[in-house]
Amino acid sequence: MSRPSDMIQGTLDLLILKTISIEPKHGWAIAKRIEQVSEEALQITQGALYPALHRLEQQGWITAEWRETDTGREAKFYRLTKAGAKQLKQELAQWERLSNAIGLVIRAV
Amino acid sequence: MDGRWAAMVRMWARSLFRRGRVEEELARELRFHLEQEAAEARARGVPEKEAASEARRRLGGVTQIQEECRDMRKAKPIEEFEQDTRYAARVLAKSPGFTLTMLLTLALSIGAVSAIVSVVEGVLLRPLPYREPGRLVRIFTSNRAWPKFPINPNDFRDFRARLRCFESMAAYTRNDVPLAGSGETVRLSGFAVTGGFFHVLGLKPAIGREFDQNDEMPAKGNIAIVSDRMWRSRLGGRRDAIGRKIVLNAVPYEVVGVMPRGVEHPGNMYHAVAYGETVDVWTPFTNYGDPKFRGAHYLDGIARLKPGVTVAQAEGEMNAGMRQLAREHQGSEDGWNVIVNPLGQEIVGRSERLVLVLLGAAGLVLLLGCVNSANLLLARATARHREMALRTAMGAGRRRLIQQVLTESVLLAMGGAAMGAVLAFAGVKILLKLLPADFPRSGDIHLDAPVFAFTLLLALASGIVFGLAPALLGTKAELNLSLHEGGRSSTSSRRTLRLRNGLVMSEVALACVLLIGTALMLSSFVHLLRSDPGFRPERVVTASISLPHLNYKDTKAVSVFYRQVLAQISSTPGVEAVGVGSDLPWTGWDENNGGFFIKGEAPPPRQDFHARYHVATPGYFRALGIPIVRGRAFDAGDEPGAPGVLIINEAMARYWKHGDALGGKVSFEDNPKTGKDWLTVIGIAKDTKDTPQNAGAEPAFWWAVDQEPWPMAADASIAIRSEEDANRVADRLRAVARELDPTLAVAEVRTMEAIADGSYATPRFALALVGAFALLALTLAAIGTYGVIAYSVNQRIPEFGVRMALGAGPRDVLRDVMANGFKLGAAGTFAGVLLGVGFARFLGNLLYGVKAADPMVIAASCAIAMATASLASYVPALRATRVDPMRALRAE
Repeated sequence: MSRPSDMIQGTLDLLILKTISIEPKHGWAIAKRIEQVSEEALQITQGALYPALHRLEQQGWITAEWRETDTGREAKFYRLTKAGAKQLKQELAQWERLSNAIGLVIRAV
Repeated sequence: MDGRWAAMVRMWARSLFRRGRVEEELARELRFHLEQEAAEARARGVPEKEAASEARRRLGGVTQIQEECRDMRKAKPIEEFEQDTRYAARVLAKSPGFTLTMLLTLALSIGAVSAIVSVVEGVLLRPLPYREPGRLVRIFTSNRAWPKFPINPNDFRDFRARLRCFESMAAYTRNDVPLAGSGETVRLSGFAVTGGFFHVLGLKPAIGREFDQNDEMPAKGNIAIVSDRMWRSRLGGRRDAIGRKIVLNAVPYEVVGVMPRGVEHPGNMYHAVAYGETVDVWTPFTNYGDPKFRGAHYLDGIARLKPGVTVAQAEGEMNAGMRQLAREHQGSEDGWNVIVNPLGQEIVGRSERLVLVLLGAAGLVLLLGCVNSANLLLARATARHREMALRTAMGAGRRRLIQQVLTESVLLAMGGAAMGAVLAFAGVKILLKLLPADFPRSGDIHLDAPVFAFTLLLALASGIVFGLAPALLGTKAELNLSLHEGGRSSTSSRRTLRLRNGLVMSEVALACVLLIGTALMLSSFVHLLRSDPGFRPERVVTASISLPHLNYKDTKAVSVFYRQVLAQISSTPGVEAVGVGSDLPWTGWDENNGGFFIKGEAPPPRQDFHARYHVATPGYFRALGIPIVRGRAFDAGDEPGAPGVLIINEAMARYWKHGDALGGKVSFEDNPKTGKDWLTVIGIAKDTKDTPQNAGAEPAFWWAVDQEPWPMAADASIAIRSEEDANRVADRLRAVARELDPTLAVAEVRTMEAIADGSYATPRFALALVGAFALLALTLAAIGTYGVIAYSVNQRIPEFGVRMALGAGPRDVLRDVMANGFKLGAAGTFAGVLLGVGFARFLGNLLYGVKAADPMVIAASCAIAMATASLASYVPALRATRVDPMRALRAE
């Protein structure tokens, strides 16, 4: 497994933030959710998820706590902080702009 | 946003200090992930056994994830640091000899510097305990005869009234007073001060008030301000002490103010009292006298500059004012200038050079310590070449290795600093004990937080600086070579040896500089001790006596009293001689008289005759052992009615250009006419200098007590030369004085030897310290030389083996190795002499009677430096001669 490049790292951050924006999730659930929603098209290695979570937590975008899952097991749940929600909004807007721009370029050619 | 920063700091701290917990949580999290993944696989129908491995495959390498997470936490450099520190500590503990040598080297040099920096901080850097001390200045006058002189009261009053550069101005003069009361009368150290004296300094009384200019009227009644010490010991420390009466000089004084603790006397020139909490009572200065009379200079001036006014501006204005006064008063102020000096410079200026020399010496020792450390580390780095090569082969990066080696040196430096701080603490204690009694601001010297922080910084910096070269050289990747040859005779080790030779040479040079400094100071000190003081201090007990002016109004009353004291003391068994005089040698007496006449002689152009003014009884010269080189001492016949006589010293005798000084005539009258106006010189006394360090003696004369026109001897010193024990003599004196007048205070009882000894205290202190530093430097240089020679011997063991196998004798090998040490020593000594002569110039006024480039001193220092280098190379050289040729060759 190679280290995700900056581009992919940024995308992964965005995906994680988006995934937990609705409700707090633990690591495995986040991985599953990303796989599921992207219809397995985005093949991110599960292992890359944890360093990303560490980084986001370190930067104060997300915060974590240990809670029981539905099945009664202890798991580390991540949720967005206020700063993280703001960051997500900014990154989403930026993403929209970027993909629009790329779309325009592609259609124009 | 703030919340996020707080979260970041919290996370960072957590990953740093709760690392175990963080790691453990990550492991749990990953385990949970694997279990969930496996469970999901099982649910999909994957067999039990394969489910777990599939989960692991999908997640990826757990160790790698953990490592990446660690990177994300950004705490890696610190973790590495911790690892390095642990490793370094382990490595250092494994070679205790090296570690101990390093620690001692560093501790001694850092300790020495810290102790001296404490002195520099306390004496030179710490602000004086007055409000905005930078604006305080001292005011003096000067003319051709007296380069620095007190001011005249009426001049002072005019200055105060007219000048605009100053916010406030005051003057003060010594006024010791006997305090009578319960028990024995004691003499208090006192000053007469003008109104607003404390205001100028920015000090306020704790209770009561200070003097204002109204208090300068003689008719205002006697009032006093007392020190905190006096208030506690004599007035019971009660707040109602204000208004109480104390008896000073046999006159009741009303206490109007009490100064708080920590009021430091700013020091003065005329009848000097040292800076510090040295004064117990202040009275108003009232003695202005006739405004037309401006010849008496005895006030010390102090003033506060207005903000933004420079010392030079103030001095310019003062001198313009002085010229104005000279015009107004027709001549009496001619030739006088005004000097304005910053107060700080006045207080510590005399010691500044000494403190800076000590700092320089300590700095040299620190430098030497660093060089020596670098040297030791370098030797070690060479010995560890294989270890480094091995670690490089195992994949350690050069950056990481350098970091590791630097960690070791910083760790050593910190250890050295800790030990050094302990040494400095003890050092400051010892230093304070050794310090001369008159050393300014010694009370302000202690090891405190800023000094300690400085030490720490110094240690850190030196750790990095002296660790860098070995780190860079030692980690140079010459993998193959190192692993093959064990670091022997490779280019890098030759380069290392060259560097180490350079280091040893600089060590010898530094030690040589300090040796030259010590030798010069030792030579000055010996010179000082050998020089004839002009008196004989052995077996002389001295004391000072103040006769209250109220009861002893004139010369007659004073001389009657002394006649009785002297008669009683001289009849005591064992007493050889006893005398009373205005002062004692080497006690800072500076009473002067200028403008007198010498019959048949004219003063040098644009100068007047001037000389130290003394008074003495017949026995004074014999009691102090001051020889009368020609003529006679006073005798009982030199009475009030008898012809006026004078004794002068050799320096004053040089005023006579045309005739013989003995038998010469001197007059202190303004217009001497009749024979009665002239005094006859009946004796010439041997010169006694103001201090042993002075270049020469000032011209001086003595009046006979009975003939002196002013009762100067009311405050006098008594000297008793006796076979008896000093304490018994002092007791006898006290008893005699008490019997004659119970209100008298016998003060400052000390032997003349103690006074003489005090005069040598400063040079002795400087010598002891610089000498200690030189010894330290020499030891360090010896360690360095030994290290390098021993190392080169180790390198050359096979060579020696071959040579001895081919028939070379032990003497040849010994000569070869010692020549090596000798060469290093010679090169270092040569550089040291060049630097040492520069250092000697820096010693300036600490040297006495010896030239900075004294050839004997330089030769002796060189010899010691060379001998040390040779001796240090002798031990390894001896080892080289014991090389067993067979073993040496086999090792190859």
